[in-house]
Amino acid sequence: MAETAHPAEPLHGELAQVAEIAAEEAGTQDFEVALESLNQWQLAWRRYKRHRLALIGSFFLMSMIAVAVVGPIIWPYNPNDIPGVTTPGGDPPTLNPIENIFGTDFGGRSVLQMVIVGARISVAVGLFTMLIATTIGVTVGALAGFAGGRLDGVLMRFVDLMLAIPFLFVILVAARFFGGGDPVTLIVIFGLLFWPGLSRLVRALYLSLREQEFVQAARAVGVSDLRITFRHILPNALGPIVVSATLIMAGAIVTEAFVSFLNFGIRATDVSWGNALSNSKGYLLQGNWWWPFFPGMALALTVIAVNFIGDGLRDALDPRSKE
Amino acid sequence: MTKYIVRRALGLIPLLLGIVIISFALMKLAPGGPERQFNQNPRVTEAQIDAWLTRWCLEREPTPIGILREFSGWMGLYNCDTESFLSESGGLNVLPAFLGGGDNGILHGDLGISIVNARPVTDLILERVPATLILTSVALFLWVTFAVLLGVVAAVKRYSAFDQSVTFFAYVFYSLPTFWLGLMFIFVFAVTLHWFPAQGIVSPRDWPPFNTPQYWEAFGEDPIAAITDIGRHLILPVTVLVLVNIAGDSRFVRASMLEALNQDYVRTARAKGLPRRSVIMKHSFRNAMLPVVTNVALELPFLFSGAIVTETIFSWAGMGLLFIEGVNARDYFLLMGLILITSVLVIVFNLVADVVYAVVDPRIRYD
Amino acid sequence: MSSVITATAAPAAAPNLPPPADTLLEVRDLRTYFHVMDGTVRAVDGVSYSIKRGQTLGIVGESGCGKSVTALTVMRLLDIPPAEIASGSVWFKGRDLLTYTDEQMRLVRGNEISMIFQEPMTSLNPVYTIGDQISEGVVLHQKLSKKAGLEKAIESLRLVGINNPERRVKQYPHEMSGGMRQRAMIAMALSCDPDLIIADEPTTALDVTIQAQILELIRKVQDETGAALMLITHDLGVVAETVQDVVVMYAGRVVEQGSVDEVLLAPKHPYTEGLIESIPSKGKRGQRLNVIKGTVANPFNLPKGCNFMPRCPYAFDPCPAHDPRIGDASPPDVACWLYTRAPGAGPPPKLRPRVPALEVGPS
Repeated sequence: MAETAHPAEPLHGELAQVAEIAAEEAGTQDFEVALESLNQWQLAWRRYKRHRLALIGSFFLMSMIAVAVVGPIIWPYNPNDIPGVTTPGGDPPTLNPIENIFGTDFGGRSVLQMVIVGARISVAVGLFTMLIATTIGVTVGALAGFAGGRLDGVLMRFVDLMLAIPFLFVILVAARFFGGGDPVTLIVIFGLLFWPGLSRLVRALYLSLREQEFVQAARAVGVSDLRITFRHILPNALGPIVVSATLIMAGAIVTEAFVSFLNFGIRATDVSWGNALSNSKGYLLQGNWWWPFFPGMALALTVIAVNFIGDGLRDALDPRSKE
Repeated sequence: MTKYIVRRALGLIPLLLGIVIISFALMKLAPGGPERQFNQNPRVTEAQIDAWLTRWCLEREPTPIGILREFSGWMGLYNCDTESFLSESGGLNVLPAFLGGGDNGILHGDLGISIVNARPVTDLILERVPATLILTSVALFLWVTFAVLLGVVAAVKRYSAFDQSVTFFAYVFYSLPTFWLGLMFIFVFAVTLHWFPAQGIVSPRDWPPFNTPQYWEAFGEDPIAAITDIGRHLILPVTVLVLVNIAGDSRFVRASMLEALNQDYVRTARAKGLPRRSVIMKHSFRNAMLPVVTNVALELPFLFSGAIVTETIFSWAGMGLLFIEGVNARDYFLLMGLILITSVLVIVFNLVADVVYAVVDPRIRYD
Repeated sequence: MSSVITATAAPAAAPNLPPPADTLLEVRDLRTYFHVMDGTVRAVDGVSYSIKRGQTLGIVGESGCGKSVTALTVMRLLDIPPAEIASGSVWFKGRDLLTYTDEQMRLVRGNEISMIFQEPMTSLNPVYTIGDQISEGVVLHQKLSKKAGLEKAIESLRLVGINNPERRVKQYPHEMSGGMRQRAMIAMALSCDPDLIIADEPTTALDVTIQAQILELIRKVQDETGAALMLITHDLGVVAETVQDVVVMYAGRVVEQGSVDEVLLAPKHPYTEGLIESIPSKGKRGQRLNVIKGTVANPFNLPKGCNFMPRCPYAFDPCPAHDPRIGDASPPDVACWLYTRAPGAGPPPKLRPRVPALEVGPS
């Protein structure tokens, strides 16, 4: 996956001066101008709403989560139910029966159902990996950035080490050797491996934020270092952290799919989008394109949606963003 | 500058040590050690197995001392045959062979034996490097070139239809999983349209396997046909790699260029009466390329480790595929060797990136 | 006697003729607007002034009053959307620059009119040497070879008082101090022997001690080359030392103009008066500093009537209703109902006694 793009671009020179002054004055006028004052979260929400792609992405992701949670309950998956097919290799998409709207696999099982069941795995892996990795990454980064000195040195050396080893190599080895073929072990492995990049980012944020005056003020009042780290500085660093977290989620979803595709992840007998791609590979030559296409499409769209959300969040939470 | 490089290089040593330790630990922790795997290869004789087990201190019952010995042996500090830190010729084992040292361990370029192939890991890896390099270097070159072109034009014509479509496609392609895109391409262009081959580096019917002596013989007889054949096989995987990576980089270039276009010195240049083209290319572009160059330098490790996914999908017999084969077979030495080599390359390229940046930006001087 | 020509009130019928030959630059009723998301900002709203050959004019006002935008409009350096040059003309050596194509303007910029900016660090390109950047202009406009261009650059550096110009020419901007960079910018501005130099806040970003040196340099350079000078600044001390005539701007308009003696020693407009009185000086030690009450007008929401009225200590009947324009004023050098008879207005209030706080130094 390629790197994230640069933060928002600044406004043109002269116009910026004019607009800045206007904005300043708007806050300090003597005569009656009714100004609503919004807090930064409300402002961020406003900016987020303007980002069309992010809204589409959010909607899509919500739907996918809903499908993942509710789908397998309404339509239970029975791996032993093999209806059989009329076309060798799998029945093509059809409206009759409606469950086969995405076609079937070589045994006649509905691809639509695979998409629904697989969604559960992908969404779970994505969300929980994000939660675990973000927690670890923020903790390590915050401690290193705030404490500085030797702790920082030791922690960052360790992070450098983790970052030096090519990511995919480690994930594959870990998944194959330590994984159990089930989502839980996979989530644990991913959570333990996805955090170093974020910790670097958080450390940089903390290094700059800890010099700010509100930190000195808190210290002067006697707030403990630990509290300052997590209750005072963290909310200010939340923007880039949230954006990184969405990237982690997207990355985890793709990585799970790839690892399962190679049969190192979710065991082949379970359903995941990656597994579907792997199992269907052989039937591609027989003309069965729908079996790999729809799960893959679901995967692609989910990842795109998460990335759009991340982008929208970046623009919304970046205080320098003026667009 | 030289002092800086030397200092940084020395600072890398602890990192390298850490990598070595982690590679080793990873393999040691994994269930089922090399000993067991050796037994499964029918082409290997009992005598050979014993020789190897001795050579790498692979104790049958692992104890802490045993593991330490194994590690030192693997590194090349310790000689398992003589069971000491001295080599057969009596010198310190850690020294190079021609100075009286040993020839075992990674310090001497010996990465072990591949369990699956019963061949030295070093040979295996070197054999696969050209295939990976062909794929990745062509892809890298193409996507960087196009990313720069697209990014610069998009920045100069900000908000135009061109810019907006580039941005949109960048968003979309950036998020597409490489392996899915690869599969779809194979289906559409290879299976259905038959425009390009679906797999492999060379057409198996016409050519011997790539990078074998037989292949180079055949290559010599008809180089043009050989190159064309490889070219046809390259198109799909390279296209996939380029599409996915161009997205992120072109946005980076665009952002960098936009920032350079908004700088005060652009206004100064225009105030001097310089034509727009000159202002853009001479003043902004040069500045915009500084972060881009660093970015590309940081992407260089991709040349070796970035194509796992593509190689798997297209059965492209390079280092990535070798790694997958190794993981499948639990080929420990191979995996340790690959992880080690690629990590070292990442670190080295990071240093290269810093040096390149310092060379290109006159504001940066490391003393 | 002021050399500043006042634009006459211009009903539509009057033709737009070029000014007399001895006028180098005449800006006539210039209006530049910015169209932003929240509305339209009238950054320059009917500004007129002129400069004769070899003369010096200072444009004074607070941030946001439009003084820089005027200069940028003259140079046509604004990005046209969102900016719009709504009306007016900029006569330079007998031609209206606003009618020029971009190609034609390029020949003027750096060549006949050159500009010095406020921030010497960011105004110079960090990846090229000083020599490169200075010679760029001469190579372009005077078609010199690179070698000759470099020679000229060295010469220019010497003219601005930089020692060891042969060595400095090969240096990068970050290797020089702020004052030296500004000298280099001045050298760059001079390199093509322009007829007019526009200096936009040239000393604002510099230390006070360096400020004096740079101003001294600007005066010397202007003297020696015979170029005219337009000096834009918010600092009254700077204009006192450097220019002959002054134009005071507020909220996109000219509110007062005249020779530097007239305006600074005997200010007429309440704004000018306020500016002068707010300068801390010896005579007022121990007293509270004077300020002009209120803040700069909101460009999106200018008051009806006189722009300055909310902050004016003399505001009376006509002020909220009628907009004083310098073009309609009589006497013609100040836009204020205190001096010009407003339609249907009563007598103006008495003016406060003036204590000239500013001493104009020997010119």
